[in-house]
Amino acid sequence: MKRFWSLFLTGSLTIAVALSGCSGNGSRANETTSGTKDAGNAGKDEITLYTIQSTNPKFQDWLKEAEEKSGVKINWVAAPTDSDTRQQKVSTILSSGDNTVDILEINDEMATSFKNAGWLEPLQDTVLTDDVLNQLPQGYMKDMLTSSKGDLIGVPSYTGYLGLWVDQKKLEAAGMTSINNEEDFVKFLKATTKDGQYGYGGSWEKTYVFNEIATFVNLFGGDYFDWSNEGSRKAVKFMYDMANTWKVTPVDQIADKYEQMNQKFIDGKYASVFMWGTGTDYKQANRYGEDQIHMINMPEFAKRSIFTDSWSYVLNSASKNKDAAIKFLKYAASEDGELNGWKNFDRYPARADVAAKEEVAGDIKTIYNEIQSTNEVHGRPMLPQTMEFISEMGTLFQNYIQDKITLDDFCKKAQEAVERYK
Amino acid sequence: MYASKKYWMIAWILVLPALLIRIFTTIYPIIETFHISLFEVKLLQGIRKFVGLDNYLQLFHDSKMITSIRFTAIFVVGSMIGHIVLGIILALILNMKFRGQKALRTIVLLPWAMPMVVIAMASKWAFNNEYGLINDFIRRFAPSFNLDWLIYTNTARSAVIAVDLWKDLPFFAILVLAGLQFISSDMYEAAKIDGAGSIRSFFSITLPLISRNILMLSIFFTMWRITSFDVVYAMTSGGPGESTALIAYRVTTEAFTNLNTGYAASIAVVLFLVMAVLSGLSMSAAKRVDY
Repeated sequence: MKRFWSLFLTGSLTIAVALSGCSGNGSRANETTSGTKDAGNAGKDEITLYTIQSTNPKFQDWLKEAEEKSGVKINWVAAPTDSDTRQQKVSTILSSGDNTVDILEINDEMATSFKNAGWLEPLQDTVLTDDVLNQLPQGYMKDMLTSSKGDLIGVPSYTGYLGLWVDQKKLEAAGMTSINNEEDFVKFLKATTKDGQYGYGGSWEKTYVFNEIATFVNLFGGDYFDWSNEGSRKAVKFMYDMANTWKVTPVDQIADKYEQMNQKFIDGKYASVFMWGTGTDYKQANRYGEDQIHMINMPEFAKRSIFTDSWSYVLNSASKNKDAAIKFLKYAASEDGELNGWKNFDRYPARADVAAKEEVAGDIKTIYNEIQSTNEVHGRPMLPQTMEFISEMGTLFQNYIQDKITLDDFCKKAQEAVERYK
Repeated sequence: MYASKKYWMIAWILVLPALLIRIFTTIYPIIETFHISLFEVKLLQGIRKFVGLDNYLQLFHDSKMITSIRFTAIFVVGSMIGHIVLGIILALILNMKFRGQKALRTIVLLPWAMPMVVIAMASKWAFNNEYGLINDFIRRFAPSFNLDWLIYTNTARSAVIAVDLWKDLPFFAILVLAGLQFISSDMYEAAKIDGAGSIRSFFSITLPLISRNILMLSIFFTMWRITSFDVVYAMTSGGPGESTALIAYRVTTEAFTNLNTGYAASIAVVLFLVMAVLSGLSMSAAKRVDY
């Protein structure tokens, strides 16, 4: 009998230990800065936000204000900083019906992938009412955040441009004051390529290069989905020439993502890059400004054209806290919400009325206004199997740049990829 | 008889939780993976339809998959040759008696203790042409050396194998060292009296006596290599192009990036079968090698 109880207790203990291990939550879902689940928060609406901003030094300030003004207690889970891992985690959460997060921040690639999958709650009746929607970039909302059924699935948290950034000192050293057209651009690249430094720096890792290919396709008046279009062919040929004919950009960059490209740009290795945002990395490196690194208007090739992007807040369909989540989303889409993003994260407001406010100031506003008034502004060309398509095009491009395939092969295979993923 | 029945009943009750956990976490996923592999499942498009063995047939016509199979074979063979040859050399060095031997054994093990994903991310920078310490070191001897390792197929593949080797070689060597320490010094003394030199002693005594250790280690290390994915995930993202995409990396990409779970499951099943066959063959071979 003694042995029975001994075995029974050992077994029970084993089960208890095993179960306690299973119930542990490794996420940071319950961490907040404004105190945890104390009495002061009793009765408050509560959500869990899957965020990319938690490593931002001002995240706590943003969070505090967001909680105060939305009236929602916001628990948060940090998204991985690596883009591949982040995309995979978000895909897994949404596709599995995981309800441990209510609101997620997703980029255009994810929005395009998920918008027709039924994993995101439509927001047109609750958050994106006409008064709000009218202030947001219409083309972008239509291309990126509207499902095939016509549902609006996200609140854009900012407007970003994939702008041309130049190192002013190199521009001056090249004896130039501006880059207005293709001729200027090539002249600038050639003049600033010397002593191991290059006129142009890219991020040609197979998924990141998509942004640059598509940008040049637009500048040359091509069509990313039509590789028989002369403009599309010219664009990739131009990139090939930059790397192989004129040698104004290094082939090495096919291993680089933005982190490597930005570091090299900051270090003075490049004279220009295409980059998103308002120059936060350059500011942090004390390299930002009219006399240093700054954004200029897109040069006019066949036309002036630029991509816009955003990260958007979306509502998980599986959420159990939809009412609170909608309160948060209304706040995010409000003037206060957008200004909070500008103040703390340096994100340019997506709402036109907020962007026009005095609080939004600085040289970035000047150049953004110039871009808006002189460029064709597009959302990026994405297909539902977004990452698969992007990755395949990137692989083809890398093969072309490394002379493994010809331009004709590239265009033929690119067209096949378009047809396959459309 | 009654006592025995009760004894077994209690035994089963105690074992049952562990058994259920094992069934739920191991057996069920294997069966479900095989089940899914018979369907075309594309989560993004909401497609789920039975396709029989089509996913398996597609596997062998998919050029990306063929590249992955080829590189996985290169990776496993290259890495294992490196582990065996360098592992034995390192173990022999660590088996020598010298001051600081114990400290060195601990230091040598450090890379093994670090997570592969951390090593792989650091290696991405280490192999960078501009900032990398690999090229910095080489340039001390050849100042004009200029190579970005991760942009060419062959050098990227070599870099991936080198990083994998750097991480796990010390562990391999330490386990070989454990085998070396079981060899009696009497045998070497007898061989010396018979006129055998150190090379003859190595091939006639050391190598045969540690061959079982090496075989067993090779089996496990080969299996770990076949299922490796974190090194390329963090270091090259399978690039340049698709040239360093290991099979396990391909499973992850198809399943979690492209959300083609049916196809990913078919790759996983093939990988599972390869592993099962290999382990059967290896265990059978292990039984035959004994000294």
